Amino acid sequence: MAPGAVTTARARALFAPLDAGGRAETVARRLVQAITLGLLLDGERLPAESELADQFGVSPVTLRGALATLRAMGLVRTRRGRGGGTFVCAPDEPRPAQLEGMLTLLSAHELRDIGDNRAAIAGAAARLAAERALPADISALGEHAARLRCAGSVTERRRADARLHMEIAAAAQSPRLVRAEMELWSEIGDLVWLPTASAGDVAAIEAEHDELLTAIASQRPELARDLAERHVLRETERLLALRLRLAQAC
Amino acid sequence: MLTSAELTSLVSRIERILSGVERIGALVASIAADADGHGRALCREDIGSIRLLAAELLSDHPGFIAGAGAVLAPGVLADAPQWLEWWWAETPATVQRLRVDLDPASADYSDYTTTEWYRTPERSGRWSIIGPYVDYICTHQYTFTLSAPVRCAGRFIGVAGADILAAQVERLALPALHAQAADAVLVSAAGRVIASTAAAVTPGMIAPPGRVIADLGTLPWQVRELATPLRPLQLLRPAS
Repeated sequence: MAPGAVTTARARALFAPLDAGGRAETVARRLVQAITLGLLLDGERLPAESELADQFGVSPVTLRGALATLRAMGLVRTRRGRGGGTFVCAPDEPRPAQLEGMLTLLSAHELRDIGDNRAAIAGAAARLAAERALPADISALGEHAARLRCAGSVTERRRADARLHMEIAAAAQSPRLVRAEMELWSEIGDLVWLPTASAGDVAAIEAEHDELLTAIASQRPELARDLAERHVLRETERLLALRLRLAQAC
Repeated sequence: MLTSAELTSLVSRIERILSGVERIGALVASIAADADGHGRALCREDIGSIRLLAAELLSDHPGFIAGAGAVLAPGVLADAPQWLEWWWAETPATVQRLRVDLDPASADYSDYTTTEWYRTPERSGRWSIIGPYVDYICTHQYTFTLSAPVRCAGRFIGVAGADILAAQVERLALPALHAQAADAVLVSAAGRVIASTAAAVTPGMIAPPGRVIADLGTLPWQVRELATPLRPLQLLRPAS
């Protein structure tokens, strides 16, 4: 074989339509994010498939693949005939199946990377909060932790948990750390409480929060950072484990 | 004791903002009293008329305050459980109403009734200045909130207020602090640094202990002289 000639197998890998894996998944993920962040609203009709494909710069086949994924997750439904089209289904309380779908769309490396980023932000915020929190900040943190303990649904827990972490960054007196927490929580917040099937898991997370708040209240910056980092890394590992279980199941 | 024209101008600036806030509060109270008098339920759109006063306050202090308006106590309005009639502007020409999520069922619910700037005037019945703090509900900036209670027929019905940018307060306070012989910090009632002449002590930190060399009259703040070990850092100070 002449040097430089492209073997059939390599050609297949090189020139395979991107549809096969990456692109449909990327489009699906962008749509899932738009729905979970509320950019696309419940009941809203999506543009025609060809128009949407143009907008994403993908082929209609790729787009249909992405929509099939969303349909399987229950995030869109398609009606035929007049007045038909593809409509967004975004219930207030995301169903576990949707969240599991979201989770499997993320690669293990992405999940790990988001977790590392969250650990860096939460760790820095906790350290500075331990240095800078005043008694009023500490009692606000306590109230947010109590609200999290009372939360009944996954949505309520997610909201209270996000607020608690933003409040820690606010106690650090850093608008930038608050913004970073906000962005990370809007990206991955819905997933954080997904792997906590048992009441034992919930109790363990609450104990971690209590320990962290105690370190902040007793002005121990290094301990607070360490606890915050470990807290996030444990969450990340739970998500990675769940993702592997889901991948095995299909 | 410290007597400085610059500190006086900071205090009078904030007093002027306070009187603007109190005007907004008085208008809310009179709107509520008017509705009461006519046996009419108070609604969101009634409160909308504070816009002019809020816009005036914003244009009187451009770049100094980030927003102004009023919030209503839960249950005061007939058509909303909570309501925030708050106006903000990047430039005086672009006053717009702040939109926050007040739906308790939503993931981004912003419950102002738990904030210190709401609770303090509610509890004490008097105006207060909270901060500096990260305001992640409204302005997303490092601010003070100046707030005053609004009462109608003896009943607490909400709070009028303005968000003052912490960076601007620091700027106004610094010349007076630089005029001191030793390093000096301006400290909030809660003990947080507002402005400092030492590079190692920045706004937002808990203030180190030091001799009080001035208090600011109507404002619950004080100027402290920093203890000598911080002096070497004076080298980092910008020349004044």
